[in-house]
Amino acid sequence: MPLSSVKGERIRWDFAVVVLALIVGIARPACAADLPRVASINLCTDQLLMSLADPDQILGLSPYAQNGALSWAAADAKRYRRLSGEAEDVLMLKPDVVVAGRYTKRATRELLKQQGLRVAEFDIAKSIDDVKSQIRRMGDLVKHPDRAAALIARLDAAITRAKQAVARKPYRVLALSRRGWVSGDDSVTNALLSIIGLSNAASSLGVRHGGFAKLETIIALKPDFILVSSSSNVAEDEGRALLLHPALEKLYPPSRRIVIPEDLTVCGGPMLPDALDRLVAELKRVGG
Amino acid sequence: MVMTDAAARRRAIVMVALVVLVGGLAMASLGVGPVKLSPATVIDALFGGGSEVQRIIVQQIRLPRMILALAIGGILGLSGAALQGLLRNPLASPSLFGAPQAAAFGAVLVIALGLADVRSFALPAAAIVAAFASVFVLLAIAGRNAGLLILILAGLAISSLAGAATSLTMNLSRNPFAALEIAFWLLGSLEDRSFRHVMLALPFIVVGATILFSQRHAFRALSVGEEAAQSLGVNVGRLRLLVILGVALGVGGAVAVAGAIGFIGLVAPHLMRPLIGYDPGRLLVPSALTGAALLLAADIAVRIIPSTSDIKVGVLTALIGVPFFLYLIVRERRALSGGVA
Repeated sequence: MPLSSVKGERIRWDFAVVVLALIVGIARPACAADLPRVASINLCTDQLLMSLADPDQILGLSPYAQNGALSWAAADAKRYRRLSGEAEDVLMLKPDVVVAGRYTKRATRELLKQQGLRVAEFDIAKSIDDVKSQIRRMGDLVKHPDRAAALIARLDAAITRAKQAVARKPYRVLALSRRGWVSGDDSVTNALLSIIGLSNAASSLGVRHGGFAKLETIIALKPDFILVSSSSNVAEDEGRALLLHPALEKLYPPSRRIVIPEDLTVCGGPMLPDALDRLVAELKRVGG
Repeated sequence: MVMTDAAARRRAIVMVALVVLVGGLAMASLGVGPVKLSPATVIDALFGGGSEVQRIIVQQIRLPRMILALAIGGILGLSGAALQGLLRNPLASPSLFGAPQAAAFGAVLVIALGLADVRSFALPAAAIVAAFASVFVLLAIAGRNAGLLILILAGLAISSLAGAATSLTMNLSRNPFAALEIAFWLLGSLEDRSFRHVMLALPFIVVGATILFSQRHAFRALSVGEEAAQSLGVNVGRLRLLVILGVALGVGGAVAVAGAIGFIGLVAPHLMRPLIGYDPGRLLVPSALTGAALLLAADIAVRIIPSTSDIKVGVLTALIGVPFFLYLIVRERRALSGGVA
């Protein structure tokens, strides 16, 4: 489920920032680093950056980088500065490149570009090929293409491993998140499912990348398994309570729930080898 | 005597009509949803027939939703009638007093502090305490013979404060999905509720309704004036406390499972007054039935209106309620401008 759809953009004091930026711009000292220094304002670019750049190339990461539930490299992220995700602190850092998502923080990105910063926008990955090209692109950006190639090789190896553990039948799996968000055909989750020979039950719902499905629709769809992010039965908010609705709990006991933590599926990136290994292990657990 | 007989007969007809209406809407509520089921299938599935999927959809998804709409609409209508009776004030109602907003804040606070699962009794308990506090503070500010204007202004202040506190609490909770959660708590929804939610809310709603209904004779005595009521043996101080308690239990229980649904308590008694008369004791049950009918209808409408994302039921009740509120203000204009002096 893309964070973009749920995070509201805040009102900024654009004028004040512009004035500040002018002052900062004038006072900018000459810095001579041979490798580009990068700031990230998006959870998914955080992950790519941490796995490909040198630590001293990373000026700061998005506010969610340290969130253990969403960020795959959360432990690693503690070493870096936590940015607000807005323009001010990024401007103060004077990065050579800002990496951002294509759908979130539009106003922030526009403002940073106006201030003459180079902003590299990363789309939401929708397939394994997308993921690979994003890894390559980030590798080129931080001038470590060798690491990008190694990461892609690791991903290919994980795909090969997973293909040997392919499901006995093309079971229909519904990837279901908070509030009934389901992953559609144009999603990395769909790609992962098809690698191990499972089919995406959401295909018939007509959601391309993903969308919200009503509980009735989900029940009527009757997928063989549901893919969820947690096996805990604590509902910390109403969004999660839906996944613990008695109707779903009755039809989908733990033996029919494939559990893959959210930090492995929320982005497409360096976590995919882990995600595939986890998927294979879960498939084995539920006897698929 | 002829007059009284005619009035009694009209009241009886209205009651029967309301019961039929609520029953019909309740059945319609079971028949509506994203999965198309014929009326026969719905009835079959309700009583254990049909396929497993059909049974689950009707018994575990639509039935709890219908029960909640019925109970919550009912308690909101009853609370509105009770408050209007207590204050002898046509603009009194839970949502104009900020009670649902305050209850939502109580619930959200428990969630944000990570104290409990959203399906535990901690949620209605916190919502009830907050609703009690808000109505208590409002009546304390307004004093005994509260003018319309003071009540409306104080209620507006409390509901704005509680709404802002709800949003801020969710923002500070570091829940990355805060925006959608805030929408639920501020606008209310009955979507995909379960019998766990019914069990959570219904006991409090029933107790609250019993308390409010038990005071019907006191409201009637009060309608001739506070002193006259006291001479008839009504303890007005105790009555106020009981009404606040009843409203807080009902509204708190409702909000804990469905968010803040507004304006039903304001509209329902007004729809009944021309038909039932001005006796606040007799107005309680018809107002509760009307509230139930309104919320059932609104909840059916949100499922029928084609939209790309779900419409919150509180949006619909506000769309009906706010113009109605403005109409009441125009009607009470003289009383309101008198309140300024």
